[in-house]
Amino acid sequence: MIPDGQTLSYDAAPAFSTPLRFFITAPLFGAAAGATLLAAPDLLDSRWTPGALAVTHLVAVGFMLTVMLGALFQVLPVVAGAVIPRSGPVATVVHLAMTIGAVCLAWGLGSGSHAFLVPATVLLGGGLALFVVAAFLGLRRIPVAQATPRDLRIALLGFAVAVALGITLALALGGRLDLPLLTVLKLHVGWALLGGSGVLLAAASWVVVPMFQITPNYPVALTRFWAMGTGAVLLVWSAAVYGELGSAELALSAVLAGLCVLFAVITLKLQRQSRRSVPDMTTRAFQIGMGSFIAGLVCVLVAQQSEHQVWPLLAGILILHGGFVSVIVGMLYKIIPFLAWLHLTQDVGKAPNMKKLQPDSPIRRHLALHAVALAALLIAAFVGNAWLIRLAGLLVVAEFALLLANIIKVLGNYRRAHAA
Amino acid sequence: MKKTVDARGLEPPQPFELVMDALADLPKGESLLLLLDRMPHPLFRILDRDGYKYESRIRDDGVVEIDILNP
Repeated sequence: MIPDGQTLSYDAAPAFSTPLRFFITAPLFGAAAGATLLAAPDLLDSRWTPGALAVTHLVAVGFMLTVMLGALFQVLPVVAGAVIPRSGPVATVVHLAMTIGAVCLAWGLGSGSHAFLVPATVLLGGGLALFVVAAFLGLRRIPVAQATPRDLRIALLGFAVAVALGITLALALGGRLDLPLLTVLKLHVGWALLGGSGVLLAAASWVVVPMFQITPNYPVALTRFWAMGTGAVLLVWSAAVYGELGSAELALSAVLAGLCVLFAVITLKLQRQSRRSVPDMTTRAFQIGMGSFIAGLVCVLVAQQSEHQVWPLLAGILILHGGFVSVIVGMLYKIIPFLAWLHLTQDVGKAPNMKKLQPDSPIRRHLALHAVALAALLIAAFVGNAWLIRLAGLLVVAEFALLLANIIKVLGNYRRAHAA
Repeated sequence: MKKTVDARGLEPPQPFELVMDALADLPKGESLLLLLDRMPHPLFRILDRDGYKYESRIRDDGVVEIDILNP
């Protein structure tokens, strides 16, 4: 006997516009990061310049976190079966708070104006807190035994810790708290990049890589233990950093780097076993991303043994632009046309082939430009020449403008199919 | 004999298209068995909307089986 329906309510499944507003806003922050490099090339003198902090947060918060939150509004119901309560109004508030908060944060860090850091912390802290509460409510009925929903919860907690540490830093910079800045900064970077973004990337990859790149599944031991193990080591590493236990910190950093390399190497190995005869564009984006992660982690370890300013800069460029931006872009080129196709199927009963909604050639052009921009950034940071840095900034502006144009083209194809 | 749609190892949205084609040909009172690599949450929304009855389970080997009945 087959029962009527199943236990989940699908009435609250998000509208297409819910994630889209995040996906359309995010490239503007990426382009703003490039424009900042173009206008002030001396910001790459070290990772501590106000301009470098502004650019880092334009990419990490303005682009990466914005896309990740937008994707989660859709990933939670489609992949995990979790329904975020009142997702439309929640998305509107979260999107506004994160967008205005990211602008205030970048401006406050870049200009040294602490007056902007207070609204930034309130908006970013409040926006993320609202999302985390809504997501946990959506996930409360989903069994923790499933790898992706369980690891999504860990990532959300990682982001919460990272933002709390970021707020602490902003208050310390404004003179409201007396704290060891370098210690809190290390913890903030560790939790933002690994506890939040890294675990979220892994949780999404457990599903996205086999589903869209037609690979075998990740090994069960990896999906079962990687996120929890990484979170546990991150906690112990945090204690070592806080307690200023230098040799323990170095050893635990190496363990964390090893865990990241393990994830990257297994992902690349699975992609080689794909049933596709020719790798698609998303696979190429993941290959750039995983290669950059591995190279970036080597730079992180070298930076811990070297006083030279260039290693942290190269690590930041490789991990943020080469790693996370590449992988996020690769996922966007699957998520957006798939959602367009899904909403067309649900709304009008039929949809054109996904390749008609999102052809390969614009993605190929964008990924080529992205790879050139990455190479230009690395060379410019290594050489330190102002004109090379300006050129790299211009390429970054162009790559994010092309990403936005490609997203808008898919929406145009969606609207035409909807009206037909 | 119940019809089986094996949609494993295909890139989205091909599994979705396969099952929608099969449902279009499914006579009233009959059911089909759908085999997938993962739980198809968006499909459930459409099955609910269109009045199909269904039951899902995960086999020990990880394969998702869904019985769909056209009532």
